[in-house]
Amino acid sequence: MPMKKFVNDPANLTKELLEGLALCYSGKVTLVNEKVVVRATPKDQSKVAIVTLGGAGHEPALSGFVGEGMLDASVVGDIFAAPGAPKVLEALRLFKREAGILLVTLNHAGDRMSASKALRDAQKEGIKVVEIVTHEDISAGVDTPIDDKRGLAGCIPLYKVVGAAAEAGKSLEEIVDIGERFNKQMATLAVAMTGCTHPQNGGVIAVLPDDEMEIGMGQHGEAGGGRTKILSADETAARMIEPLVQATGVKAGDTALLIINGVGATTLMEMLIVYRKTAQILASKGVHVTPGACGEYLTVQEMAGFQMILCKLDPDHVAYLKACARTPYWTA
Amino acid sequence: MLTLSQFKEMVAAAGVDIRAEEKTFSELDAASGGDGDHGTAIVTAFNAMRKADGADFKGYLKALTDALQNEACGSTSTLYGAWLQGMSDAAPEGAAELDAAALAKVFAGGLEEIGFTTKARVGDKTLMDALIPATEALVAAQAEGVAAMFQKGASGAAKGSEATCAMRAKFGRAKNLGERSIGPRDAGSASMACIFNAFAKTVK
Repeated sequence: MPMKKFVNDPANLTKELLEGLALCYSGKVTLVNEKVVVRATPKDQSKVAIVTLGGAGHEPALSGFVGEGMLDASVVGDIFAAPGAPKVLEALRLFKREAGILLVTLNHAGDRMSASKALRDAQKEGIKVVEIVTHEDISAGVDTPIDDKRGLAGCIPLYKVVGAAAEAGKSLEEIVDIGERFNKQMATLAVAMTGCTHPQNGGVIAVLPDDEMEIGMGQHGEAGGGRTKILSADETAARMIEPLVQATGVKAGDTALLIINGVGATTLMEMLIVYRKTAQILASKGVHVTPGACGEYLTVQEMAGFQMILCKLDPDHVAYLKACARTPYWTA
Repeated sequence: MLTLSQFKEMVAAAGVDIRAEEKTFSELDAASGGDGDHGTAIVTAFNAMRKADGADFKGYLKALTDALQNEACGSTSTLYGAWLQGMSDAAPEGAAELDAAALAKVFAGGLEEIGFTTKARVGDKTLMDALIPATEALVAAQAEGVAAMFQKGASGAAKGSEATCAMRAKFGRAKNLGERSIGPRDAGSASMACIFNAFAKTVK
């Protein structure tokens, strides 16, 4: 079946979407080395640079969060595929500075391999760079070994926190501490109602029967977790928030951030209805819920479903989340 | 003896067969818990490698590594990059032909290097299920000559890949599928078997 998508040559999707991003948000971002998105106005050299890497096809992530208060650069691969290590190394060279670079890597096999190789090569060249790996997906269970937990949309509030800390002039060591504390206290659970099609080859990833949904699908709807008949928004919220509370250890008196990230074909109406119930459940537990976010941040083409992200916050995290951010798809 | 021009033909033949099976590799990837783009990734890699050239085995294998790593994405870039880099490192300086012993060293070197990059081994439902038995069979057949080495290698890769059907994924997100990952063949092992098969067909 032909794909019903507004595309040209499937081989050029990534190149064309990045050119579109740079044209649309010309005041905020610009494209260098073909597939590296950087700020239109670079941050002061004296401050730590925040760099990330990942595949395309997840717009606005990751490049949509390049800008003041968040990322300095996003190194892009191809659709759903990490950039090769040489591309990551090129970007690290661009941001070489005494203050250092924080590289944020989402835990996916391809991303980790490229990042590790680039990191080793960069350090050999004397580039000061430290990596934070996000792995907050609890779809295989809260007790899953850390290497088996994927990085989902939780990277976005993490970009916000470390980006604000860098903007405030914190040192690389301080930013790593701030970021790792945030990283340890966040968890994400995904739910899907339909799979997605791969926009380059039209292949369908993860087919679900019409009356079923699956809690615990991966970034691209790779099958996994538990299938169930479709539940209401409130039932879904209740079922998803409990393991997240368990994973983050959020309890009465704590402050938490709640994000509902749509993955492509779920409407904002549905996301807000889910957010409502989830926030109410958290409030009933005595958790103080800070202003959150509902929208499409890290998507998977036309997959229906969302990721629910819960972050237990320390006082400095609250302040960094509030700090100014001017990026194409996140402002504060 | 394997000449460099024969080896270049082998790489080209593997590219032809890989491109012909692109859709199958993507479908296998999706079926076994991946994100359905292994075909796209491996074809991109072979397309990139078409630009590589070199005057000796070491140089050509290094050029293949660089071309692949610069253009291929995802784990294919790093894994195949490591495999080819390891082969280049193990190739003798300036050699434009390899005898059976040198050839065995080149393939053993490739396996060693990729083994540093991934923790996956036989039984984990990855490309290593094809590459490890293929390399071992190829090395073990040294006394029988170059053509036999590739025949045995191809047969080892095919059997190893076939065996992944019955395996439960132990790496990456496919692992979360549990019992549901059993059944489909691993896509990475399928493309690796396809490459060894093309090698064997070319060196008759």
